[in-house]
Amino acid sequence: MDRSLGPPGRDELVAGSRRSAATAAGWLARAVDRFALPLAGAGTLAVLLAVFYYPVGTVFAEAFGPENPVWAILTSEFYMGAAHGLFANPLQVPGDVAAWLAEASIAAGWTGWLPELYVVHPGVRKGLFGFTAYQAALSTLASVALGLPGAYVLARFEFPGRRTLKSLTILPFVLPSIMVVVGFVATFGQFGTVNDLLAGVGLGRVQFLYTLEVVVLAHAFYNAPLVTRMVTTAWENVDASAVETARSLGADPLRAFRDVVAPQLLPALAASALLAFVFTFMSFPIVLALGGLQLATVEVWLFARVQQLDYATAAGLAALETVVSLALTYAYLRYEARRSAEGTGNPLDRHRLLDASGLREWLVRSGIVAYGVVVAAVFLAPLASMVLASVGGLEDPTLRWWRFLAERQAGGRTQPATAVRYSLLFSVAALAVALPMGVVVGAFSARGGRGRKVVDAVLMAPIAVSGIVVGFGMLRSLVFGVDLGSYRVSLVGPLVVVLAHAVAGYPFVVRNVAPMLSAVDSRLVESARALGASRGRALWDVELPLVWPGVLAGAAFAFAISVGEFDSTVILAGDGVYTMPVALKRYLVDRAAGPSTGPAAAMGTVLLAVTAASFVVIDRVGGRYQP
Amino acid sequence: MKRRNYLRTVGVGVTGVAAAGCLQVENTGDGDATTTDGGTETATGTTTGGTTSADAGPLRVATYDSFFGDDGTAGRWLKDAWEADHDTTVEFSAPSNGINQFIERKREGVGIDADLFVGLNTGELVRVDDALGDTQLFDELAGEVDGSDAIQDDLRIDPENRALPYDTGYISLVYDGTTVDNPETFEALASEAYDGTLLAQNAQTSDPGRAFLLWTIHEYGPENYLDYWERLVENDVRVLDDWQPSYDAFLNGERPMVVSYSTDQVYYNDEDQLPRHQVGFLNDQGYANPEAVARFADADNPDLAAEFVEFMLTDEAQRNVAVNNVQFPATTTAELPEEYAQYAYEPPEAVTFTYEELAGNVDAWTEAWARQVATN
Repeated sequence: MDRSLGPPGRDELVAGSRRSAATAAGWLARAVDRFALPLAGAGTLAVLLAVFYYPVGTVFAEAFGPENPVWAILTSEFYMGAAHGLFANPLQVPGDVAAWLAEASIAAGWTGWLPELYVVHPGVRKGLFGFTAYQAALSTLASVALGLPGAYVLARFEFPGRRTLKSLTILPFVLPSIMVVVGFVATFGQFGTVNDLLAGVGLGRVQFLYTLEVVVLAHAFYNAPLVTRMVTTAWENVDASAVETARSLGADPLRAFRDVVAPQLLPALAASALLAFVFTFMSFPIVLALGGLQLATVEVWLFARVQQLDYATAAGLAALETVVSLALTYAYLRYEARRSAEGTGNPLDRHRLLDASGLREWLVRSGIVAYGVVVAAVFLAPLASMVLASVGGLEDPTLRWWRFLAERQAGGRTQPATAVRYSLLFSVAALAVALPMGVVVGAFSARGGRGRKVVDAVLMAPIAVSGIVVGFGMLRSLVFGVDLGSYRVSLVGPLVVVLAHAVAGYPFVVRNVAPMLSAVDSRLVESARALGASRGRALWDVELPLVWPGVLAGAAFAFAISVGEFDSTVILAGDGVYTMPVALKRYLVDRAAGPSTGPAAAMGTVLLAVTAASFVVIDRVGGRYQP
Repeated sequence: MKRRNYLRTVGVGVTGVAAAGCLQVENTGDGDATTTDGGTETATGTTTGGTTSADAGPLRVATYDSFFGDDGTAGRWLKDAWEADHDTTVEFSAPSNGINQFIERKREGVGIDADLFVGLNTGELVRVDDALGDTQLFDELAGEVDGSDAIQDDLRIDPENRALPYDTGYISLVYDGTTVDNPETFEALASEAYDGTLLAQNAQTSDPGRAFLLWTIHEYGPENYLDYWERLVENDVRVLDDWQPSYDAFLNGERPMVVSYSTDQVYYNDEDQLPRHQVGFLNDQGYANPEAVARFADADNPDLAAEFVEFMLTDEAQRNVAVNNVQFPATTTAELPEEYAQYAYEPPEAVTFTYEELAGNVDAWTEAWARQVATN
């Protein structure tokens, strides 16, 4: 950091004393100073309106059309399960519940050694929404269980490669689901790596695929990194002196953790759990490819309805999905507002991972090793199997899929280097748009009461609206265009792709930055304002340096979202403008390669390498500015 | 200071991108030629001032992603062969949601921006007519195309002669002969011997999945097919989202049987691969899934489009499209190369639903099926 914190607003004071000699440039500088924040806010709103709210609105309008699809869904047993009675026939609900309770019974018995208590009850139909929420809740739990220990290791231990590992945590986030499915089949299939190991040590083969468990695990593959990354950032931001104070006042380490550290981690944990829930609630390709139609979710149905041109039902489903996601977001935001944590300061010392003494430390480290084994199975094995597939596997290694990429590079419709170039171009540009958007909205969100939280929740909508609906809305409004007099104006091309990516990514910046901003001592900002600094200047000079780690974490997510984005890229860009996931999908159906996933795996490996390098660069370059 | 520099650089980046084009404005004031550009691929050289009978091209063909591109695709062969003999060029594009995009364009009164649609199947044609009613997305084509009478009668999908089949696939089972025997009948497939062996696809979203569902309806009738599927589901059939993941799972040995195409051995005909890639026809049948080409009523180059379709139906094009697309020709006269034909099996009896049979039914059949499979 090349500046100190105080005295804020000094530039303005100096400028004020020379007002008589104000030049045009000086006036301009002050105008920028004063209006930068309002302008950034207006720009954010304009972008959101143009590439998100308007397109999505054209679709949602159908949800409230004459057919009243929302009501039809709410009263349908197929969609709502047992809960449909609440809407279809509310007066009958108490009777139904009583009847259900009358049939339920508790039985006690002995099962071998232990007494067993079991509840026998008539089945409750979950319905599409109930099942979707159920699997999302399980997936969120799994993501937290898998992600939290990672945050502990990364934040509290020092070891070679820690920073790089931290940068790479969100790598799973960018992988196209089709490659995750290929990796999971290769890892957890009947003849996959894990089953080979189980068979090798004499345990039988286990059927993992086509179960709810493997779907949940795949969701954790995507979302545990979110938990790890967000909680690690919060943990590194904990003020060591507060812990020391607690300790010196007689608190044991556990107590100090519970009273000082945990309250500062909870907002990040809750935010990442919320995001994980919202994502898995709207999960689509993974569910069908690893679970099958028997485990269908709302989004699966929504896609099928769009395919059948039944836009009313699709819009109704999407509207209800969004209501669920936004209600949860709002509940979280109310919670976030009530937490207040101390600002940054000096971070906690890290233990050296490879240097342990005493039984307790050894126990902790053996726990970490066990965790490492799980991480290797869930995260590394699917990634490694994709890389392996690009060279034809261990038994029959071949370079033909890489030669295939080279041939395409030499003059094909889809060239790998072009895909890499567009991916990087889009993601860097999207980052440049998403960061200011996220910081501005974060600053807005960090202060203020109930009304603001409602607006804040609505501003999170880009993660709460079905991707299928966003894509369809963009097609109908942006690509088809609107009639303005005798002109038809459509909004397409690379710049719109960038804006769409930025809109998809900025909520991550907000959710990383806002909790930290609300923790910044408001007196710092007030004194800067009292000294004449504009709100924008105070944000820039005072608050931003303090929340820079959050900005950085958000940047990594926004970048990842852009790299992994598929739908809006295909819809808004032409055939000649394609990113890495688009190229991967094209190679997957390339007739020249037959049914093999080899070329797609090779492109997936390129994608992995390019994004891994980018994450390291983002953290290293961004980290230089760390205060 | 450094951060400010960073922002300045970024600002330049954004303006650079802006120059790459964003807002497209078309004058639609004169006439009804409302043309909006759907992407950037066909942005230049398509002025449509006064269509004459001698169409200047380029011929714009909308299709699906794997149809065109590099050597080894049917589209590439067609383009090269056509352009060698003609002054006009052929431009392919693959709209992200296929025929639905054109239905939507027609509904919204937005320009179609294409002359031909390649890769239409019967169910999709039914959907087009359901959605648009009397508004014609395609116009009559057969009368303008010499050679259209050579199309096999049982493949014809359109009573109004707009869509002309140019190739067909047959849906069958592909099974690993080292693990299971050919079930040979639908009944056997639902029996205990085949418990937990079959991978199928979602009929709502996947072509072979829908064809397989229709095949079971063809066999058991609209009244009883759901009962048959109840038995299949009890037998632990897995319905995945698309052909690719199900076939990948089959290749990995997850299940020994998959709903796929009868041309499977074209890719797998080594001695050691053949036993693992056996084609199974149920009840000696295969479900025909013809692919058709149709001309947009709003085509800028209607004559050129008809000429191109005529070219697609020549024996040489039929042979090459079929081989590159791993399908069979649609005409009675075309012959496949020997080395291809020996691994591409035609079923003893090809069955399929006609347009009239599907119209008004296919959506309801599919949704009832999906609701039954997805019962949570």
